[in-house]
Amino acid sequence: MATKLKSFSRSKTAKISAFLVVMLCLSLSVVLAQYGMYKDLNPETLLAKEYRQSSTFNQDEVYSAFMEAEAIIVRGEAPQESLPYYYYISDGSRTYSNAGDAGKAFFEKYDKAFYSFENGVWSVGTNTYAGSGSYYGFGSSSYTAYIAFPDEYLAVQQAQWQSERDQTVPVAAGIAASLVLALAMIIFSVSVTGRMPGDEELHPGKADRIYSDLLLCSFIPLGLIWLSGLGITGNFDRYQTAGEIGSGQVLSMLWAGSLTALVTFACGIVLLALARKIKGKVFIKHSLVYAASDRTFDFFKSLFDGRRFKKYPLTKSLFYRQLVFIAASLILVSMTLAFFPAIVLEAVVIYWYIQGNNRTFEEINRGFSESLEEQMKSERMKIALVTNVSHDLKTPLTSIISYVDLLSKEEGLSETARDYVRILAEKSNRLKNIVSDLFDLAKSTSGDISLELESLDIKKLIEQTLGDMEDEIEKSDLQVVAKLPEHPVVIMSDGKKLYRVFQNVLDNALKYSLKGTRIFVELTEDSGKVTASVKNIAGYEMDFSADEVLQRFSRGDKSRTTEGSGLGLSIAESFTNVCGGDFNVDIEGDMFKVAVIF
Amino acid sequence: MENAKILVVDDDREIAVAIERLLMLEGFEVVKAFNGLEALDALCTDGISLIILDVMMPKLDGLSTTLRIREKKNIPIIILSAKSEDSDKILGLSMGADDYVTKPFNPQELVARAKSQLRRYMHLGVMGSSPHSTQIKSGGLCLDKSSKLLTVDGEAVKLTAKEYGILELLMENAGTVFPAEKIYESVWQEPAYSVENTVMVHIRRIREKIEINPKEPKYLKVVWGIGYKIEKL
Repeated sequence: MATKLKSFSRSKTAKISAFLVVMLCLSLSVVLAQYGMYKDLNPETLLAKEYRQSSTFNQDEVYSAFMEAEAIIVRGEAPQESLPYYYYISDGSRTYSNAGDAGKAFFEKYDKAFYSFENGVWSVGTNTYAGSGSYYGFGSSSYTAYIAFPDEYLAVQQAQWQSERDQTVPVAAGIAASLVLALAMIIFSVSVTGRMPGDEELHPGKADRIYSDLLLCSFIPLGLIWLSGLGITGNFDRYQTAGEIGSGQVLSMLWAGSLTALVTFACGIVLLALARKIKGKVFIKHSLVYAASDRTFDFFKSLFDGRRFKKYPLTKSLFYRQLVFIAASLILVSMTLAFFPAIVLEAVVIYWYIQGNNRTFEEINRGFSESLEEQMKSERMKIALVTNVSHDLKTPLTSIISYVDLLSKEEGLSETARDYVRILAEKSNRLKNIVSDLFDLAKSTSGDISLELESLDIKKLIEQTLGDMEDEIEKSDLQVVAKLPEHPVVIMSDGKKLYRVFQNVLDNALKYSLKGTRIFVELTEDSGKVTASVKNIAGYEMDFSADEVLQRFSRGDKSRTTEGSGLGLSIAESFTNVCGGDFNVDIEGDMFKVAVIF
Repeated sequence: MENAKILVVDDDREIAVAIERLLMLEGFEVVKAFNGLEALDALCTDGISLIILDVMMPKLDGLSTTLRIREKKNIPIIILSAKSEDSDKILGLSMGADDYVTKPFNPQELVARAKSQLRRYMHLGVMGSSPHSTQIKSGGLCLDKSSKLLTVDGEAVKLTAKEYGILELLMENAGTVFPAEKIYESVWQEPAYSVENTVMVHIRRIREKIEINPKEPKYLKVVWGIGYKIEKL
């Protein structure tokens, strides 16, 4: 039931009806008021039941009676026409009256409407309505004046008053009822406007787009239009005959009524728009004054906090901001000398400037961490790629190696075929080494490698490596000269990785050295810096730089050989770096030198 | 050991077939399976004495299969995997595998490792249960102090006196790392001076005798920059 009522009260029908009722009621009350005016109805008849108690009587009759009395004594002549009341006026020497020689007692008889002025004091009859107590400012307090209205006259006037009252009351009641109804409907309209049946949302209307203050101001022209429109009715009133309603008056009332309806319509739309804006809490925000001041404020703020210069590159925008800030500060500081509170503005400007700075720093930080994130992501992807690719490479390689082995065990192969199988075995083995090296390198350069750091003797490690590689050294036709210190050289490192480093470096030296030369392995310790170096004389002209030798994948054919993966030095470098050391390559003529520094 | 039945499990059929051929050439009987579940099925029916198991397989991977097999059986397992990281190896061995071979493998090495596991399982598994007091053991290594004889998976290995001395020292203190100087002083009975190379060469020789792949030693390990040790197995 309650929901039904709610949904009805929010329906279009209810809203339009209420609106029409408001228009109708307001027009009606205007027309009724106009009608009352044309009928010359005295609104006081509504307030005072008795004619003699009305201010109409007091003003129009009693007041004028005293005025007339004074005029008589000033003129020194009684009026020719007969008056509807009795008067007595005397200044001590002269006396005028229309009641013959009757004294005060005669006047007092009419105690329902008797007024006297004696010795500067006002008084009224016993049953007389006192009114304001004083009626007229006599020129002289030496006057004595009596005014009395005969009962018969009052009775006639009262009857007329009553009949006028009988006409006024329904008109007034009509106006009052119309106004009350209109008010009720206005309240209803205001309360349901913007609401729709079925939801609790606020639906703004088209008029809401107009700024609140403009809406509010529109009441002024509307009111002026209404008032001047009503003024035109004077043109119709020209034909007025008191108390009579002629065609002119009917036209005038039609005009006033429709004008009121139109103005009400316009005012209603404005009022409802305002109501919706207040309900939506956008009354202040969506006003021209607010918007304009907000824009202005924002413009100044944007000058200092950097938004104004956003389109420029970071450094340039910072520069412009600083320029504006310094200029504004200069002006404000000099203003402060004359007008101290300007310091507040300076404080605001400083606050905005700092705010802008903070935002810039935040942006820089965000950009930085984003790129870091991006980098880490690509590293992770690289690791995943390496893992997957290496698995995808290893699986077919396993088959190749296995079947080449099976093939080599096959009997009845021709000598040529056997040769081919031998080459296949060799190459697939090399491929295996390359894949393994590639995998190691990719993992160590991407940082996804586990370290087992322990304190170890690098001198011992070099000796062990040399011992481990003794076979290769003996086979190589080269001599390895080790110049190692007598005492242990302890560093923190990963032994297995470091072994790979020296193994690869020595391997490289053994592979590319000129036959019959010596390979020098040295270990020195200088102020906490441990340097292990391997020097050899290349067996060919090294037409590449030290950097190129370490640039894996991109170095072309310059140092490629048919043996190994060609990644040995790259792995050595990467492993050294992972262990926290530096890996330097030096090329001087035919001398090739690798230094591992911790 | 001849005619021993070996279960080969790999989802790559060509690899499984290749391993089958390799083992058959050595006179073994081979049963194939192509995933972990098939492997468990095959294990229920046949009298299998060795399993060669791939890790990355559909349905049930090698590590889970290893765990499931170890719930019931003590058959030696060699894990075969493309993952070559130390951590992967440690994980595989801690799951209960006896050996870990990385792909791509050397066919001869795989066969050698298979034979080694079989020897230990079939011969030593029985008699190895009650070791003599004069014997020191570490995995498939067995050093008899009274006869001064070393056997690897039951096969006698000839050692020189120095080699024997080094092995005895390291095996009696399996897991402990000895620097070259200590080994030298203990075995050579001489003060050590610049002996790293001497000891290292001996270590390499021993490795060539007792390890299937001396490049990836299982027993005798170099702790780089520190010393040498026999793994406690």
